[in-house]
Amino acid sequence: MTPVSSKQYTDDVSLLVVLIDTNPLFWSSSAVPLSFSKFLSQVISFLNSILLLNQLNQVMVIATGLNSCGYVYDSSSGSTNHRVETLLQKLEEFVVKDEELNKDDSADEIGSSLLSGSLSMALCYIQRVFRSGSLHPQPRILCMHGSQDGPGQYVAIMNSIFSAQRSMVPIDSCVIGSQHSAFLQQASYITGGVYLKPQQLDGLFQYLTTVFATDLHSRSFLQLPKPTGVDFRASCFCHKNTIDMGYICSVCLSIFCKHHKKCSTCGSAFGQPQTSVPTSSQKRKALNLN
Amino acid sequence: MDTVASLFAMKHDKLYENAFICKAILRSLPPLVKKYVLQLLYIVLPVTTSSLQDADSDSKNKSAIDRLIELRVFMKVVDRKKETTYLLNPTFQKNLRLHINCGLLPRQPIAAVTFLSLEDLDIYAARQWECFLLHLINSAEAAVTTKSFSCSMMKVVLRIRGILSQRDTEGPRLTKSGFEFLLMDTNAQLWYIIKEYISNSEDRGVDSVDLISFMLELSFLVTGEAYNVNTLDDIQRATLKDLANLGLVKLQQETKDSWFIPTKLATNLSISLSCASPRNEYVMGYIVVATNFKLYAYSASKLHREILSLFARLEYPHPNLIVGFITKDHLDIAFQNGITSDQAIKFLDMQIVLYLQQHAHPRVAERVASVPENVTHQVVGIASKYGLDGTYSFRRRFPIKDDLKHGRRGND
Repeated sequence: MTPVSSKQYTDDVSLLVVLIDTNPLFWSSSAVPLSFSKFLSQVISFLNSILLLNQLNQVMVIATGLNSCGYVYDSSSGSTNHRVETLLQKLEEFVVKDEELNKDDSADEIGSSLLSGSLSMALCYIQRVFRSGSLHPQPRILCMHGSQDGPGQYVAIMNSIFSAQRSMVPIDSCVIGSQHSAFLQQASYITGGVYLKPQQLDGLFQYLTTVFATDLHSRSFLQLPKPTGVDFRASCFCHKNTIDMGYICSVCLSIFCKHHKKCSTCGSAFGQPQTSVPTSSQKRKALNLN
Repeated sequence: MDTVASLFAMKHDKLYENAFICKAILRSLPPLVKKYVLQLLYIVLPVTTSSLQDADSDSKNKSAIDRLIELRVFMKVVDRKKETTYLLNPTFQKNLRLHINCGLLPRQPIAAVTFLSLEDLDIYAARQWECFLLHLINSAEAAVTTKSFSCSMMKVVLRIRGILSQRDTEGPRLTKSGFEFLLMDTNAQLWYIIKEYISNSEDRGVDSVDLISFMLELSFLVTGEAYNVNTLDDIQRATLKDLANLGLVKLQQETKDSWFIPTKLATNLSISLSCASPRNEYVMGYIVVATNFKLYAYSASKLHREILSLFARLEYPHPNLIVGFITKDHLDIAFQNGITSDQAIKFLDMQIVLYLQQHAHPRVAERVASVPENVTHQVVGIASKYGLDGTYSFRRRFPIKDDLKHGRRGND
């Protein structure tokens, strides 16, 4: 008789990490039919319903700002009494701090929020939960994003996606803006999450509870929205443009759109095409860096 | 789920008027069923089955919808097109919406009060619970007398005692139900006692719905936080005193105020309502079973000693260690006592093994077989010798062939 696995709770206990996009440039633009307060009220109702489903469910909220990211709310720490008030208060403090940072830096033309930062923070928190003991809930990440993809974050986001895939943490995406996000499509496809772009944002709560509320174990029995055409094109490391054809360093697999003398990631020297043979010193350098 | 169904066998609609009961029922449902309920939470028009079916297999969908109809959470509506559509029970819906929109103000804990740490609280709860169980099995070793029990609690104790043990010439002896009860999970034992208490309350004139909702409200509070007693009415205060005897809450009194602190036993009440309850984290494993059938239990509690003496010979009365030997004789006594003439005992041996596995010491719990396989095989093997009629069936163990009976051998 095999004893009950002590690695996790029953199958339907989940830890949900929600990444909320608080980019003021996005929320104040006319592209969004929903106001931030309405959006927040629907998200808070969704969080309450997750906590209602199971006594042991945990929720963690991280805010993705323009210049910084921050942990906003953790359901396992505080009491249940002033849940919403603490969340809103922390969120307000975060937005004020983020805006102050904005005045120091030069304004980013594209106005994309720091998705890579908040993904990394979420994954760090999940790793801490994994190491806390033998019993832990099943974690997953839900990304509520609206801003455009910032090409400068391509490498960092892909790294987070692969480490999430390694730890078996699905990344679900709910895109609120007007355009699809190629990064989030790839993230959900690679990690086995769900990508959704709701048609009518007034009913956001209904979309959230139908698609994103179920735990990971029950998802195998449900028919969830399938990805239709994911854009897998890579971006080059030098200019951050999406390219179809390019040059790849054979040591570290970095992608370049133009021919370079030296790889900027690992430092291995490129010779002329098809005449270069990697010497032992280059191999050693590459091994040290990898 | 059976607990919920039997508790709430009557008056579904009246029960759903209470928000905490709705929350507890939602948490006790299987995951697919929970999803259906959440989906329909804000929908007022009836939906057809086809728009509801999200699961891949039809049987799962059907069983989910049937369960909801059985609990009166879903209501069937047949419209003009003769299609069956479903609607969420409006009272249930309204109460769940209250929970989601933060419309319910939970009880406020008292802040700056000196009370016990969580570990002390756990020790207190364990001690009270153990005392109560010892009373139930009518053991002479129960430390605290039953003078502090209220009369309603005493009625429950006497009634359960009558089921669990019977008077014999040598003294009180455990019946089959007694065996099964002692080897059950703590949460299952707790719900058994609470069910008796609630059914007893009907005779006293207390509304059982209020009682259930108060207990569930207690289970949704935070362990270790103190709550004021003044906010409760008289019936709830009397219930609190009874629950303190069980170890669910700790009552404390200062000069001005008195308050109660719920323990882990209370907050685990609602978790255990769901279909698959998790392993008890607050019951520390303490038993190590060796392959030579020796048993080492790192525990000082008399209750554990009583339970282990059911099927093992206990030696060496150490203060914090129980050393025992699982012998065939003791297992025989257990199986003979634990059965009636018309029931198979195949559950009792598995229960013994399950008890040993669930309470395995953390050092051995990580192993694939926390109880060695030869021990489990032997327990099951001894049990299988007892036939359906309860007598020791020699024939089933040693089928005798004709030539052996007459003493003839093959090479004579």
